[in-house]
Formats: sequence, C-alpha cells, structure tokens
Amino acid sequence: MAIITLSRGSYSKGKEIAEKVAACMNYDCLSREVILEASDRFNIPEIKLEKAIHDAPSILERFTHGKSDYITYYQSALTRRVRKDNVVYHGLAGHIFLGGISHLLKVRIISDLSMRVRNKMETENISEQDARAIILKDDHERRNWTQKLYGVDPWDSSLYDLVIFIDKITVEDAVNIICRVAGFKQFKATRESQQKMDDLALACEIKALLLNEHFDVSVTSDYGNVVISAKATGRQLQKLNERATQLISEVSGINNLEVHSEATQRQTVI
Amino acid sequence: MQPLTTDMILVMLMIGIAVFLFIVEWVRVDVVAIIMMVVLPLLHLVSPSEAFIGLSSNAVVSIIAVIIIGAGLDKTGLINSLVSPIVKIAGQSESRIIIGFSVAIAFISSFMQNIGAAALFLPALQRVGKSLKIPLSKLLMPIGFSCILGGTITLVGSSPLILLNDLMAPFKLKPFGMFDVTPLGMLLLASGILCFIFLGRFILPQGGGKEDQEKAADHKLDPIREIGEIYELRTSDDFTDYRDPIHIEDLKRRYLVNIVAVTTPPDSRIFSPVSDTVVRSGIDMLVCGRGKDVQRMAAEEGMRVKDQVEAFKNDMASQAPVTVEAVVAPRSQFEGKTLDRINFQERFRISPMAIYRQGEVYRAEIGNMILRVGDAILIHGPVKRLQALQSEGGLLFTTALDTESLRPEKAILAAFWGAVALSMMMIFNIQLSVSLMTGALGMILTRVLTIDEAYQSVDWRTIFLLAGLIPLGMATEKTGAAAWIAQTVLSMLGPVSPIVLLSIIGLLATAFSLVISNVGATVLLVPLVINMAIAANADPRMAALVVGMATSNSFILPTHQVNALYMGPGHYRSIDFMKAGTLISVVFLVALIGGIYLFYGI
Repeated sequence: MAIITLSRGSYSKGKEIAEKVAACMNYDCLSREVILEASDRFNIPEIKLEKAIHDAPSILERFTHGKSDYITYYQSALTRRVRKDNVVYHGLAGHIFLGGISHLLKVRIISDLSMRVRNKMETENISEQDARAIILKDDHERRNWTQKLYGVDPWDSSLYDLVIFIDKITVEDAVNIICRVAGFKQFKATRESQQKMDDLALACEIKALLLNEHFDVSVTSDYGNVVISAKATGRQLQKLNERATQLISEVSGINNLEVHSEATQRQTVI
Repeated sequence: MQPLTTDMILVMLMIGIAVFLFIVEWVRVDVVAIIMMVVLPLLHLVSPSEAFIGLSSNAVVSIIAVIIIGAGLDKTGLINSLVSPIVKIAGQSESRIIIGFSVAIAFISSFMQNIGAAALFLPALQRVGKSLKIPLSKLLMPIGFSCILGGTITLVGSSPLILLNDLMAPFKLKPFGMFDVTPLGMLLLASGILCFIFLGRFILPQGGGKEDQEKAADHKLDPIREIGEIYELRTSDDFTDYRDPIHIEDLKRRYLVNIVAVTTPPDSRIFSPVSDTVVRSGIDMLVCGRGKDVQRMAAEEGMRVKDQVEAFKNDMASQAPVTVEAVVAPRSQFEGKTLDRINFQERFRISPMAIYRQGEVYRAEIGNMILRVGDAILIHGPVKRLQALQSEGGLLFTTALDTESLRPEKAILAAFWGAVALSMMMIFNIQLSVSLMTGALGMILTRVLTIDEAYQSVDWRTIFLLAGLIPLGMATEKTGAAAWIAQTVLSMLGPVSPIVLLSIIGLLATAFSLVISNVGATVLLVPLVINMAIAANADPRMAALVVGMATSNSFILPTHQVNALYMGPGHYRSIDFMKAGTLISVVFLVALIGGIYLFYGI
C-alpha cells in the first residue's frame, strides 16, 4: 500500500486528520515516536533531536554540521519505521526525508490563520495576541528550517500531491479524500519503489552508524550495493574501511560495499 | 631602499589574489591569468597594449609551435617505432627497460610538452608491462618522473624554460640558448633515473616478499581479476512468468555483473546487448562478474550457472570480446562528464565495468562518476566497437586496436622539419619562436598533419595561462614591487653567499610549484629573484635559471599533469608519490645547485 506524509502548520487540525486517516486505513500513525526511536537507538537526548528538526541552523551550525548530524539520526529512525509501508507520518519534513519514493503520498494541510489562533487560544487558554505571535513564530521557524537546509519553501504547493485547505472542507472530508487518493494505483508500492525505500533506509542507517563513530561520510545504496564516500585519506580512510567491512555482517541487506575517498588531487595546467 | 608606492601595493595585492586563487581554485588557473590580463590595465598598472603583449610574445608563439610539432610526431606513430628497439636492447631486465624508456621519454619531452610525451608513451608502456610481466606501478612512476625531468634538457622542454628569456628581457640579461641548459638537465635526469634503479625497491610501491610482489603484479596486470570472470548462465523456461520484465540494465545494477552476450531464439547471439534488452525465458547469457555476485543473481532470479561456456564457445574464439583498460587522456572530451551523460554504453555498445582512481576500484554506480584525467576505465566489448570508441579520441588504450589513423610514412618528414627548426636555432641563431613555427608550418605544408589538426592540438588553457601572467610579471618589475620585495627579503636574511641564495631560491620555486601552477611560480619569482641576485652580488641569470628548472621539481604531490595521468593506470596512491617524490625532489635540488656550481662556476 502507501506511505502517507502529512505536512501541517500547528493547530491546523493536521494531527487529528492523520490519526483518522490511519484509523480508516488501518495504518500505523507516527510522529513523536520517531524522535523517541532515534534518541534510543543513537543515545541522543530527545531535546537535541527536537531542536534539530524544528529550529533553523545558526550560521555556526551550518559550518559545524551541528544540526545535520541529528537530522541524520532522525532520518535513519524515520526510514527504518516507514520502510515496512502502511504508515501515516505527520511529523516534520516527511516529504523531504522520504523524497524520491514513488509510493509516497505527500499531503499538506493548511487552514485559516484566525482559526488556528482560535484553536490555540482554546487549547492553551492564552490571549489572542500571544496565540498569534506563537503561531507566526512557529511558521517562520519551520519555513526557515526547510529553506536553510533543503532550499525549498514548505508553503510551495508543488512539493505535495495534495494540498487541503480546512475551512469549507471539514476534517472528515479531508480524511475521505486522503484515503481515496491513497488507494490510487500510483501510490501502491511496486517492487522497484519498495527497493528504493529499502535502499534509502539502508543508506540512512549506515550513515547514522558511521556518524555515531565520528566518520563524516555520504552514503548511497542501489539494490543493496552501497557506496560510502568520505573526505578522508591515509589512516582515517583505513579505519573507515575496517569499520565498513564490519558493517557488512552487522547490517542486513548489504550486497556489496565500496568505500571511496573523495579527497581530490588538484592538477596544474602545464 | 625605494619607498613603497600605491602602485607597488596594488601589484602585491594582485599577486596575493592570484596566488590565493591558484590555491583555492575557485576559478581555473587560466581564468585567473585572464583576470590579471584584464584587471592590471584597469588599475593602470600596465598599459592596455602591454596587457595583451603576452599573446604575441616569443614564449607563447614558441609554445604553440612546440604543441603543433608534438602533435605532428604523434600522428606519425614515431613512439610506436621507438618501442621495439628499446625492448630489444633492454631484453627482459626491468632496470634496463626503465632506463631505456626513461631516456626515450626524456628525449621526446625535451622537445615537446611533458604531458603530451607522457600520453604518447602510456599505451606503449602498458603493453610492454603486460608482455614482460612488469607491474605498471614499477614502470610508470620512474618513467613519468623522467618525462618531467626531460623537460629541463632544452629550453623548449617545459613552459617555465620557454618563458625564461622573455622574463629576463626587461633586465637586459643575455638570453639562454636552446641547449645552454642541457648539461644541467642531463645531470638531473641521470640522478633521477639512478635513484630509481638503486633505490626503486625502497621507494616504489610493492609488497614485502617475492610472493606478494608476484601477487601484486598479477593483480595489476590482469584487470579481469578485479571485475570477476566469465560465466555462462541459462534462464529457466518460466523466467518471464509472473513477474515484471527484467532488463539487462536491472541485472547490472542489482548484482554488479556485466551481461556480455545473450542468445535470442531461434539461434542468434547478441554481443553487448543494449541496456533495455528484456531477458527472456530459456536463453543463454554470457556474463562477466565476481563469483559470489553471479551465484547470488542465479539464485535470486532463477538461473542456472553452467560449469563451462557452451553456447558461446565458438564466438569466444572468433568474435573475441575483450577487456581493455582505457585511460582518460589530458584534454579529453570525456573529462568532467559522467558515463551516463556521454551515453557511453548505448552509444558505443560496450560495457564499462569498473573505474580505477587514485588506487581505488569503483564498481557500483560508475555511471554517475565525473571522469577525471588519469581515470582508468575497464571496458568490455567486441574489438570493432572498441575501435569505434578509440577513433573518437580522448582515451588512451592499453591494447593495440590498430585503428589510429597514423601516418608512419610521414615520420621522415616530421623528423626533417624538426631538424630544420633545430638548425635554424643553433646554426643560424634565428629566434626560438620563428624557428619552431617554421618547423610546425613545414609539417602542415608537407601534410604530416592538417591545419585543422594543428589548431585542435593547441591547448588554449596553456596559451592564456602564459599570456595572462606575463603582464603580471611585467607590472611587478615596472612598478618596482619586485625590487622592493627583493630588498626587504635580503635585509631580513642578512648577507648570504650566492650558493646559499640559489639554494633558497630553488627551495622557494619548488614549494611554489607544488601549490600553484609552474608557469605562475615562474612569472612571479623570476623578476623577484633577479632583483635579489643583483642586490646580493650573485649572477641574476643563474637565479632565473634556478627558478626555471626548480619549477619542474614537482614530484611530491600528484599535482603535475604527468603524475595525475599516470596515477590511475599505475594504481598509485598519494602516499606513493610522497615517498618517492620526496627523495627525488631532494636529489633534484642537490643536483641542480651542484650542477650550477660545476658547469657555471658559481
């Protein structure tokens, strides 16, 4: 079947819709569980993961990979959870983390700002001014995060298969629409799309495991043929090679593994 | 000492920017030179006519002529005719083969660009290594280094030496003659070759014991071992039932095996099938891959691995698909592109199987790798299709496919025009550029190569690098910046003897040529060292000569184009260059200074 990602602004009724879609289709519903799994698996404080996937990176963090490391752990936990299919994920940036998977249904739920403010006021019993300020700040932070890390605007509708404005369309209508679209044949997993999902999960897992041991690498996988590229040379590259060889027996699904150095030699013209 | 002026500061700033850009390579080195060519007149540091004077300079015209003469020699297949006599004289001895080829490549590279000579010799060296069972790692580095050293034997051997007289002209110093540097160059070459002969076993990459060496030799000589062996498989009769069609490309991606040939009912055979060919039921397939990958494919896809080649038995002998190693040549049209972008497999109907780069073998996802000069691609395919690929140019083949449109009958004419150019320089004392251009023109008129081939052979990157940096050297001298820097450095150093000063200059030029282009290093350093030598009462001509020679002392890192080209086929790592290059660089400097002391009496 399908993997459904639900991108939403806070208090847009997205969570409610996600849970109802999951119930209607008998799918698992994921959001915070991914943070807990990543925290557990890689021994990272939840608060750091939460901040990394919510707050845009500072200038310093953009140079030090501070946030991108946590995002790697998060992406690894997410891909591990959704690879088995039949999942509704309504956490952050699912459409980005799982990009390229053809049986992914990317949904964006939006709603009128005044309705969101009202919802916030009712839930948290705060003034309208405070509620509006908090929601606008949150929207700004999320926009910044996606733009700085991935260069896209989360409000760009072309990133999604379905954008639903909750106003005249009720929560129940939205659930019906999503469930119906999820049944379309283009969102059903095929052998190739499932392989792509498995490859993504495998590459993310290997990257996260190596990162946990301080190797800065990029990893790709194609039908279980894994290529690890690192800007390492000499002893560091040798250590990476040794660790990568161990991974073949530790991580299932690796058919072939190559480690390459990206350190390039410059050439003079003459 | 002259006071520091605004113009001097501006020139020093431009030098700083040029060196910075050379190191970080945000733009290519020739573009840096063009930036200098344009910015210097805008800052009024040189006049507009001076800014472009490099394009018509003696050095640039000489280099164009040298490149055309080199291309002419290439077209006559002169190198191939040199190979058999060398092998005959050297016999089976590894040392004699190294000496023979080192001397030959040094001789050729003393009259043409080093990289051109290195590319010409590479296929021949690969063949000789294979037939005499000498690992390429033992051959290529000594011969590549000799090629660079050969560039110091004549004044036209390397770009820095070609530039030297032009850079010395503003100081009214006596120009060097064509063979004035020959004794020194010969000494450098001899010391380099002797290092490899006596110390080669310690500085060249090889295993510890004899067995290891043999293993290493085998491994490097037989590329098939890296990519696996030939197997024949048969698909089951229900292979296409209940599943989506499987294409040749799918099998390659999933199992990293190359489908060399398939049978199609009723009785035809297709070699190098296109990637979207559907694999049918009950057919035979000839594949090349590692045993475990082939077995995994057979198990997962329901195929049977045969004990031996049966269906393609006869074709193996007659059609003989071969595996060859093709190295991306300098200025290749494939450089900077991926195999997928070139549509390599579909266009030539051959299978790229692996790529060697800096001592590593790439097997997975090679279609997306951006090719660099020196990358060695292992290609499997029928000889005819490989010949078609070779005729496109841009790749240097290990195996002689005999397709190159060589003109051996023109070899005598090429040699004649070479001799004409030489005698014009030596006997009639005609200027270098005029003599060389006469030789190049003679080759074109006598159809050793066509005018279009001559134009295509010219590397415009080299031309603009030279032409663009000449005004920077001019501005350094004209504004007095060179004299000011020289005075400042000397006052910091205190009184030094000429020999110590030349040694420091040699070290400085070596260091510069490792991080920036050798032409850049020469242009920046020559005005500076001439001023230093004058101030320190040393011979300014010798100071310039040390720079011209020491900028060829580029062995420690594989940054020199010759080293970069030989790195892939020799399967060298950077550490191999550091090990051997450090020793050769030290010996080079000692021999250079010692040679100047002996031959020129400093």
